[in-house]
Amino acid sequence: MRDGAGRPASHEVEEHTSELQLRLGAGSLADLLAEAGRALARLQLAESAAADRNGTWREIEVTASDPAALLAEWLNELIYLAETERWVATEFRFAAADERSLRVRARGVPVASPRGLVKAATLHRLRVAPVPGGYEGEVILDV
Amino acid sequence: MNDSVAAHDVTVLGPVLREVPATARPDMRVPVRIYADDELWRQIEGDRSIEQAMNVATLPGVTGCVYAMPDVHEGYGFPVGGVAAMETATGVVSPGGVGYDINCGVRLLASDLELERARPRLEPAVHELSRSIPSGPGRNPALSLEEGDLDRVLHQGCRFMLERGLALPEDLAVTEAGGALPGADPGMVSPKAKRRGHDQLGTIGSGNHFVEVQVVDRIFDPAAATAMGLREGHLTVLIHTGSRGLGHQVCTDYVRLMDQVMPGYGIHLPDRQLACAPLGSDEGRAYFAAMCAAANFAWSNRQAITAAARRAFAREFGEAGHLRLIYDVAHNIAKLERHGGAQLCVHRKGATRAFGPTHPETPAPYRACGQPVFIPGSMGTASYVLVGTDAALGLSFGSTCHGAGRAMSRGAAKRARPGAEVRRDLERQGIIVRCPSSSELAEEAPAAYKDVERVVDVVARAGLARRVARLRPVGVVKG
Repeated sequence: MRDGAGRPASHEVEEHTSELQLRLGAGSLADLLAEAGRALARLQLAESAAADRNGTWREIEVTASDPAALLAEWLNELIYLAETERWVATEFRFAAADERSLRVRARGVPVASPRGLVKAATLHRLRVAPVPGGYEGEVILDV
Repeated sequence: MNDSVAAHDVTVLGPVLREVPATARPDMRVPVRIYADDELWRQIEGDRSIEQAMNVATLPGVTGCVYAMPDVHEGYGFPVGGVAAMETATGVVSPGGVGYDINCGVRLLASDLELERARPRLEPAVHELSRSIPSGPGRNPALSLEEGDLDRVLHQGCRFMLERGLALPEDLAVTEAGGALPGADPGMVSPKAKRRGHDQLGTIGSGNHFVEVQVVDRIFDPAAATAMGLREGHLTVLIHTGSRGLGHQVCTDYVRLMDQVMPGYGIHLPDRQLACAPLGSDEGRAYFAAMCAAANFAWSNRQAITAAARRAFAREFGEAGHLRLIYDVAHNIAKLERHGGAQLCVHRKGATRAFGPTHPETPAPYRACGQPVFIPGSMGTASYVLVGTDAALGLSFGSTCHGAGRAMSRGAAKRARPGAEVRRDLERQGIIVRCPSSSELAEEAPAAYKDVERVVDVVARAGLARRVARLRPVGVVKG
């Protein structure tokens, strides 16, 4: 994976008729995945929710067949944890990440009931690609 | 029109039927047929649903035509409102062709209560429904499953609910497939999926799911209405939900698996979300068994909600409030069915099975009129009771529409009209509303959906189904 330092992490959420499209950019694949996690947290929590210094840490490992599938797998793991553990990850420290796997320490906040806005990350029009200065990605979320 | 469909590729076959021939794209194996009038066609042209239906027409083993119902809209991989049948010997099964909410569906309960007689206790009844049926991402503490019970739900569906005292024997006879698909294998459902679903039985969920109290305000077909026990002015309860997180996880698990194994079967598709595997492959059989199990969970979910609704109505109305199940039908499912002498795997995603009077799977009470079909309108607008036709077998693999179909994104709906105003509008119409969030109420505002009257008009004109009755909402519990 690239160790890009130039491109700041960013995301945009675009609404479609019955779904949300997440557009991501970052200096590295790890940063792109972290930004995807933060974007998901903003959708699952109130917009104002930020990292909670009292939150609990959890180790998460994900594998996939390629970088794009890794993005979808990563988000699906976070969606699963939100629904079953009532725990929304807001802060990420990547211990390892390549194009087919990641290992991350994530700090999250307990939620009595996530907004339930996001139900799955799909493979529909899924894309992750290296670009000058880092990576770009797009993923469509089932809501 | 979306980029991949040129106007000259679309042939108008009739006032409510258009076709994109198989020659429109080199990778298409069969034509796409779209049921729509000119107005709905204009709306359909505005998204990628026809392009998606053309992508479905590339799947191995697809046969006949791919059909788009008049409520079709863009989905993930398959369009919502799409029907595709695969030959079982050479064809594939695609989790995306069923969708995330496996066996999302609708069931309708009828009562002998007249609205005017019930009105004094209607608000407490709707409140009791909202109190006893968890909505949103909620769990159901009132229905705890002991170890092993979830596997029994997945395997036995509504038969387990009968054992638990949550169903009446007559309910199963008027539930599609008796509320239990025989191919279900709980062992093919992942621990993650079971974890998501274990405390969600008897819950509505979120999005466009709801429990609605309605009054029969018009009968179109008295004979069919009599067969169903529907009488003008009487109350009904419509339940719309599916397999909750369990179904979502089954879809997620098998889309991922099939995405990985497809190249090994020489399958290359225009959209990864169409991921599929041959029906006879290990992966295809595993998905089908898991999907059947998730479908059984969904039928059990609607049955558990039925039990809660019966308790709520009994509490407020006594014996007069008894709720009798008319029918329960899925609109996100893949089924093995015989068509034209061949066994096919019919994928219906946002489409409802609509078998006619002579089909052997039409339940005995409806052999004179056809299988009941329920088309929920948007919140605050009418819903329709239809019956399937024998002709639909040749027109759409025995399928019809499933609802009004979204026309506006959730955000656009919220911007168009704040939730508080939507709530006031509904209350002005005399509709009792129970929804914890005004914001989520706004997302489901009537303006966010296509015109259900027009959708139903098209399926009736096309011969896919016949109108029986119109139901007007008087109480809404929104997920």
